[in-house]
Amino acid sequence: MRRRDFLKGTAVLANAAVFGDFRESGSQLSPAPCPVTLLGMPDYGRDLEKDIAAVMTRDGLALKGKKILLKPNFVETHPERPINTNPAVIAQVAHACLRLGAAEVMVGEASGHRRDPWFSVLNPKLRTILDKRVKCLDLNHGDAAMVPNKGGLTRLPAFYLARPVAEADVLISMPKMKTHHWTGVTLSLKNLFGTLPGIYYGWPKNLLHFRGIERSILDLARTVKVHYNIIDGVVGMEGDGPIMGKARPVGVLVLSPFSLAADATAARLMGFNPRKVLYLVQAGRFLPGLRPEDVALRGEDPKRFATQFDCLDDFKRMRGGPFF
Amino acid sequence: MTASPDTTALVRRLSSFCLPDGGVPYYKGAGASAEPTLLVLLALFASGSSPVQRKPLLAWISSLQNPDGSLGLDPLHRDQGLWLTALSAVTFHHCGPKDARDRALGFVASFRSVTMANDPNVRQDNTIVGWPWVRDTFGWVEPTAWSVIALNVCGRGDDPRAVEGRKFLLDRRIPSGGWNYGNPGINDRELLPFWDTTGLALIALHGQAEAVRPGLDLLEKNQERIDSPCGLAWSVMSLEGLGREAAPLRQRLFGIMNSLPDDGLNAAHFAAGLIALSGRKVFFP
Repeated sequence: MRRRDFLKGTAVLANAAVFGDFRESGSQLSPAPCPVTLLGMPDYGRDLEKDIAAVMTRDGLALKGKKILLKPNFVETHPERPINTNPAVIAQVAHACLRLGAAEVMVGEASGHRRDPWFSVLNPKLRTILDKRVKCLDLNHGDAAMVPNKGGLTRLPAFYLARPVAEADVLISMPKMKTHHWTGVTLSLKNLFGTLPGIYYGWPKNLLHFRGIERSILDLARTVKVHYNIIDGVVGMEGDGPIMGKARPVGVLVLSPFSLAADATAARLMGFNPRKVLYLVQAGRFLPGLRPEDVALRGEDPKRFATQFDCLDDFKRMRGGPFF
Repeated sequence: MTASPDTTALVRRLSSFCLPDGGVPYYKGAGASAEPTLLVLLALFASGSSPVQRKPLLAWISSLQNPDGSLGLDPLHRDQGLWLTALSAVTFHHCGPKDARDRALGFVASFRSVTMANDPNVRQDNTIVGWPWVRDTFGWVEPTAWSVIALNVCGRGDDPRAVEGRKFLLDRRIPSGGWNYGNPGINDRELLPFWDTTGLALIALHGQAEAVRPGLDLLEKNQERIDSPCGLAWSVMSLEGLGREAAPLRQRLFGIMNSLPDDGLNAAHFAAGLIALSGRKVFFP
């Protein structure tokens, strides 16, 4: 499929009638503004473990005695491109969870392109910087739990969720701040593709592409309960993301209990108007946090980080701002 | 090829992954799954274990075969992961029974990827039929390579599907050599080759000396960079199977397999490593 054809197809998403009214069932919309915290992290050498723990506590994330799964993004590995969630961020969040009394902390990923988990969460370099109590799990190869698809846009009756995802008490989505050559941006919601094992869905997860990437994102957003989101925007990717783009230093971590609020805020920091990113708009029909007025920004001044990510021509229409 | 090292301890360790019912999980503590069971079965075969030792694994995997010859992920997901049928054909070919192999091959020959119009941004021919991971989706390098290997190993390398499968693999080859999961490049920019996928595709293209040369050269040139058990295993199997030297890789593979902790040890990759170390060409006709 050509990108232009794909984009024409996704324009249909803008038509709410096609999808019915999401709010009728399972809506997570809330009248209270969604807290989103910006933590400055100029480089990956900074130690923010205590700050991250403090923000999670203030956001009401109860971790004591719980089984926590961190879901970073390790879609692909390239020695010179910032494609993946940085191991330093993963380690600091994992250790913050332990600091807050988590009974078990796991780092799990079902990498979208790489079958070999050596290039993902089983890489010795990640292992060596993690506390010994933290487990690393290759979610591509292993047991799955079949859960009903609560969205239905893809017409898939169910998803095979990696069992550790289904069994975790707390799921923390930890994407990289990147542009995406099919959807405009890829953040916390898109990161949920990596909760589905490749042995069921393949590499890449082509079944989801066939059923519609944006429809799949929305179905997963309805089906997979995410408790917290931490976006690695220390060094993001602009241009032809999520694999072939260039490094874009932003120097920020975006933290929120609300996936859409985190994603919409990150999109604004990247210079994209979330109300022009179609899957974010549609997610806004059942998740809170799309509009600026839905978000209670905390932490550092967003003007410090707001920038304009380069993107492919097809997505320049999604740009906007200044937002802050 | 250098002499095979003593792998007795590695075989014993791999055998410790087998569950009482004969199945093998990817990772200790998980449920049994078809892929690690098939590869462990082949590793035991390649390492010279007796049919008696292999019997429980063969029984487990045989019971997983569907009436149409396909093979799924595990007893609870028999309709998922049908791409594994090709590997089952190879395993049944070496470890019997032959009627199971023939049923598996019948399914492999009928399992087709969908095609689509070509995209000027992606330099590949989307009209060539290969094999998909999931029914009714697009074709990708790994399931296509497995299927071509199965047809080759079972003496059906001239089957029109195998011929087209090889054409598919050549089309998806990265211009400077090697393969990733399925696209040689996007928007005139080459994608990065993967060692495991490159090894598999090279084995599938056995017999095409000119076609495999760039991929073999790539693996040889990058020997120092290949460090994962899976990447090393497939690099050793393809290089040695296609007439190149891979002694340093073989040595590194042996060292890594002896040093891996159980935590995070993927039985399927460990088994592939043992097959490579055995020197037996189980994926070649």
